[in-house]
Amino acid sequence: MSDHDQEILPPTPGARVGKFIARKDVTQTLLLGLFFTAVFVVLGRWVYPHWMPQVLTKQMQSNEDIMIWFTVISAPIAGIVLAIAMESFLKMHRGDTPPEEGIAIRTNTPVVIIWTATSLLFCIVAIAWGIVALNTDSAAATRDATKSLIVDVTGSQWAWSFYYPEQKIHTHTLNIPVNRPVTFNVISDDVNHSFWPVQLGVKVDANRLVTTTIEADPSATGPIDVKCAELCGLYHAYMETSGAVQTPADFTSWVTSIQATGGVQQ
Amino acid sequence: MSVETAAPSKSKTAVGALIAIVLGLAVVAGVGLTLHTVSADPQPKLYATKVGTIVAADGKTYNHYTIADGVYPDPINSKAHGTTATSDGGHPSWPSYGPYTDFVLPANSYITVTLTVYDSGNQLNSPYFGNVVGTVDGTATYDGTSKTGLAPTEVEHTFTLHSLPTSTQDPLFVNVPLPLNTDAEMKAYNNDPTKLPVGHKVTFSFLTKGAGHYVWNCEYPCGDSTYQGFGAVMGQLGYMSGKVTVV
Repeated sequence: MSDHDQEILPPTPGARVGKFIARKDVTQTLLLGLFFTAVFVVLGRWVYPHWMPQVLTKQMQSNEDIMIWFTVISAPIAGIVLAIAMESFLKMHRGDTPPEEGIAIRTNTPVVIIWTATSLLFCIVAIAWGIVALNTDSAAATRDATKSLIVDVTGSQWAWSFYYPEQKIHTHTLNIPVNRPVTFNVISDDVNHSFWPVQLGVKVDANRLVTTTIEADPSATGPIDVKCAELCGLYHAYMETSGAVQTPADFTSWVTSIQATGGVQQ
Repeated sequence: MSVETAAPSKSKTAVGALIAIVLGLAVVAGVGLTLHTVSADPQPKLYATKVGTIVAADGKTYNHYTIADGVYPDPINSKAHGTTATSDGGHPSWPSYGPYTDFVLPANSYITVTLTVYDSGNQLNSPYFGNVVGTVDGTATYDGTSKTGLAPTEVEHTFTLHSLPTSTQDPLFVNVPLPLNTDAEMKAYNNDPTKLPVGHKVTFSFLTKGAGHYVWNCEYPCGDSTYQGFGAVMGQLGYMSGKVTVV
């Protein structure tokens, strides 16, 4: 008789779980899961941030925080899944008769409760975090509206162009000063695009005939990569430009140099 | 009761694994070769011609290269898709640059481009592309007259060169609007497509930096009525868009 032919189940779900955990392969899987979880926590908390774009705004800092913490709290799930895969790979039954179907997990009340509650908790945390972040950004934008730098952004197949009403300059790169809120008024000439200055941590649709608005609070200097995040045709992949968050002096110098060439950046 | 089955011999297992690996590699190689063949650029390339040296506004001396091309109301006259009387690339009504849409330029050089434009036009979607941008002095010469741009309603097509800023190559952005041919100038062509207008000659210069791969496209909505004039011809390489390689 094979090991898998018969299994007498304990009478209660709790006893079943206890017996299940006491099995050698399950214990090994749980230990492996703990190990992989620790690895993913370390990667998510201390390594992953190095692979993310530079943080130049408060919004990008919020983005990075939520990415890090969701990676960390998701680590146990990834760890257990990888542990089960590893245990299955190492203990595979080559040439053996496949085992019978396992215990139907839908009858295991504690597992179902834990699984549902954990998923629900993740969703609630994500929603609450998002609402708080959105509300904070909106309140800051309203508070800073009078001192914001305005930049009118136009998406065209397949290039971005910018107009600074206060400075009266047209540009093909996006430069903004540090420590001054900026408001982007975004529109499209043709199809739908998506304005995504990566290091600023904001992204908004660029629609034809409708202006969308988004704000950013630059808190550090550094380069900006502006991309289109909406598949928009032949050269969508090339619909990118560059720019920078600059010191106020450098920004003023940049503006002055463009004004000197008739208000159009060369 | 279980049915015990004999495990395969080690040699059979090794042969099976070897066959699986070879088949896997063959599939990957086949897919790779197919994709490489399909993605090969069929367009001929125009190599810039050296005409001497020139001192630019920055006081430095550069090797001076030139290229010349045309902008046509149809692909047959452009000769970008073959030199026979029926070579239209399958789209006889599409406008087209020609005879080249792919250009090869030397690095760190002074490039002078001459475009002769034979097509009619109307209005740009974005007035921004009516500006001359990225040339050595911010101007282009239109039939001998230097200008910093054209009115958005007087544009036929544009030559707009750009790149990926996140790559390791130097950025390059050039935009030159091209003037339209009026209805009167297009009258003979509209009656007989072999009779092109005299055309307008546009000349501009820009500096290349390091080696890199760039693309150019037209920013005038010269496609069909879909996508605000950016359907049809604007969605296919080799007509109103192409590549620039700096070597």
